[in-house]
Amino acid sequence: MSFSDADLIARVLAHEDSHAFAELVRRYQSPVRAFLLRMTRGDAHLADDLAQETFLKAWRKLSTFRGTAKFSTWLFGVACNEIRGAARKRKELSLEEMDAPPPEATSPAASTGSHLRLDLTEALKVLSSNERAAVLLCCQNGLSHEEAAQVLDCPLGTLKTNVLRGREKLKRQLSL
Amino acid sequence: MNVPEENDPLDALLREQNVYVNDAGFAARVIQALPRRRRTWVRLVILMTAIAISSVLAVLWLPWKNLPPLDASDLTAPNFPMLLPWILVISVVGSVVWSLFSLIPKED
Repeated sequence: MSFSDADLIARVLAHEDSHAFAELVRRYQSPVRAFLLRMTRGDAHLADDLAQETFLKAWRKLSTFRGTAKFSTWLFGVACNEIRGAARKRKELSLEEMDAPPPEATSPAASTGSHLRLDLTEALKVLSSNERAAVLLCCQNGLSHEEAAQVLDCPLGTLKTNVLRGREKLKRQLSL
Repeated sequence: MNVPEENDPLDALLREQNVYVNDAGFAARVIQALPRRRRTWVRLVILMTAIAISSVLAVLWLPWKNLPPLDASDLTAPNFPMLLPWILVISVVGSVVWSLFSLIPKED
């Protein structure tokens, strides 16, 4: 028998049921960790640390989840706050900064089949953090523009601009 | 929902690369790291009991009837023997009030 997210959340809130929370973690660890891995430019250790902090924060703040948005959207919001917090501590990976593209990633990549995976990873590094987050949330994780704007705590227009710019840069990099 | 374009090669590539990340013990590590909290009602009962006991002791032991009258000269030229009972009363009442405030649930 499969419980809905709402059922699991209700169990966590009512009984501090760690088994119910474990099920939520199992359901959402993949998209959250994949998103954070991209956002940290492939730093798996940092991404997993941030993912762990995201779920721990979710456990502590679950009572603030009102159920108006999807749980995954709320969770991405918590993850973005963790990235901002880490950026403040490390003075890097900032969502606000316009990252200078790494020198090796500025030239258009060859788009032959077997290299596309590596190319996309490299091409994503060229994007600013805001553009990367916007593209990943909207184009890879299926969030609506409104949801992504809410997650990233930015105006809808800014979000749409970041998606557009990010996509254009990616297409240029990948010669698509 | 932001529906990706079917024929857009970039959307296709992003979808293709949206692979499942194996749990590999991640959920277990998260659950192990969860803070073990007392249940909220246990915390409330402990605090309420402590406040009730402190209030009873304060009412019984504090020198309510013997509090010296305060006048402005005591405050401008502090007279410690005169102020001592007041300091005691203010400290105890302040502690009880502080405990009551700590009962208010707050966000992390």
